[in-house]
Amino acid sequence: MGLLSIIRKIKRKEKEMRILMVGLDNSGKTTIVLKINGEDTSVISPTLGFNIKTIAYNKYTLNIWDVGGQRTIRSYWRNYFEQTDGLVWVVDSSDLRRLDDCKFELHNLLKEERLSGASLLIFANKQDIQGALSPDEITKVLNLEALDKTRHWENYWL
Amino acid sequence: MEGEEDLSNPNKTLDPTYSHPKHTAMLERLSNRKQPFLSRNPDSHPFESTNSFLSRFSQSKHSIDSDLTRCRQSTDPDSKSTLKSDLEAVSISISDLEKLVAENSYFLPSYEVRTCLQTISSLKQSLENVTSEVFPKKKFAFKSKKASSGVLDKTEIENHDVDLEKPSFIVPDLPGFRNMENEVLVKEFKGSEMGEFSISDLNSCEVRLTGCLRAIFIHRLKNCKVYTGPVFGSVLIEEVEGCVFVLASHQIRVHHARASDFYLRVRSRPIIEDCSGVRFAPYCLSYDGIERDLKESNLDEETGNWANVDDFKWLKAVQSPNWEILPESESVGGVTILNSDK
Repeated sequence: MGLLSIIRKIKRKEKEMRILMVGLDNSGKTTIVLKINGEDTSVISPTLGFNIKTIAYNKYTLNIWDVGGQRTIRSYWRNYFEQTDGLVWVVDSSDLRRLDDCKFELHNLLKEERLSGASLLIFANKQDIQGALSPDEITKVLNLEALDKTRHWENYWL
Repeated sequence: MEGEEDLSNPNKTLDPTYSHPKHTAMLERLSNRKQPFLSRNPDSHPFESTNSFLSRFSQSKHSIDSDLTRCRQSTDPDSKSTLKSDLEAVSISISDLEKLVAENSYFLPSYEVRTCLQTISSLKQSLENVTSEVFPKKKFAFKSKKASSGVLDKTEIENHDVDLEKPSFIVPDLPGFRNMENEVLVKEFKGSEMGEFSISDLNSCEVRLTGCLRAIFIHRLKNCKVYTGPVFGSVLIEEVEGCVFVLASHQIRVHHARASDFYLRVRSRPIIEDCSGVRFAPYCLSYDGIERDLKESNLDEETGNWANVDDFKWLKAVQSPNWEILPESESVGGVTILNSDK
């Protein structure tokens, strides 16, 4: 293998991003991934384990790891941390009762050293539901202002 | 080689019979050098003997142990604030003890150092345990709620408040039924207000929701009956006991349910987690206009998924012991909400 082909290969690798989707159960992680990929979202069972989707976007290849959020399997999230470039934390903006749970799990996750280099996206899902909290309110409730200043984070909603 | 070693052997130079002015000077220097070390402040190195160190160590350990037991046994809610400072004091004594071991480790046998460090780490662990017992974290509170069979008692609420950081934002309540007993609760949803609904902290109530909904959250019900029209999004049920649910939804999740029956129509596979004695049967609700509502919510077709339950606490191929299919002989047969009931 010549030098050129090695460089080409590295270049290609750099265009590959590993995105980890996590959040409490019932927040809509699988639905978001399928929706972005233009697939049918009418029959989605709660995720037992994980799904991987590869999506091409602007010359980038996004490998999206959608990991189940049920309490029992949250302890397995850490198996997916290695080499994660982007972390998407999905929040059910209408599940007001479990926002504390959501905050606890998020801040717990962000303590993880292996994720310290990953960009964070807070996805305030289910904005279309009456009574859902706005992204600004979600920012306040999850205490995102208190996050490590070195981390790049963004709040997003559909 | 051997001769060289003999020459450099310091014992040889200390031999009193071997006196040379240079060596006498060196001996003097050596003894002077030892002086400041011996005359150092006796407090910082009071032991120099393994036994006296060990007795001091076990003394401190015992006092920390008894402090921890006292903290654990204190149940008076008024003493919460002093308890916190007590626990902090214990944590400081543990780190002092750790420092003590580190300071004296130069003369201690390595076995003793190892055992002392083990003791310290077990002390730290029990401090952590006591702290989480006395000031339960969110996670622990959740588990203990389950044990109290769905009814949150007062002390738990207080603990919870202590634990929460000052909320920077007050979360509003969802529309819903909450905190009631022995009531029949009825609500009809019209097409325009397809919102979400929350049902929580009910005892011996009957809830009838007709029309289409977007999402339902159910939390802490005891001996209730819940009948609902189709839900376009998901239903989340947590901490229920002795209840009957008749639900149609795209997704259904059930956590911490005990001895309850679920009559479901569901597009995807329903899941249970931390449940026991739950039984499943097909949806059996009827009211005037339910066919239209089911069609509108894309739930008009029986998928048979009501029986395809995934138990997250039982990831084996054999049937989970936590749920079963409701025998037809025990089924309620059908539930009808009459217009006059609405």
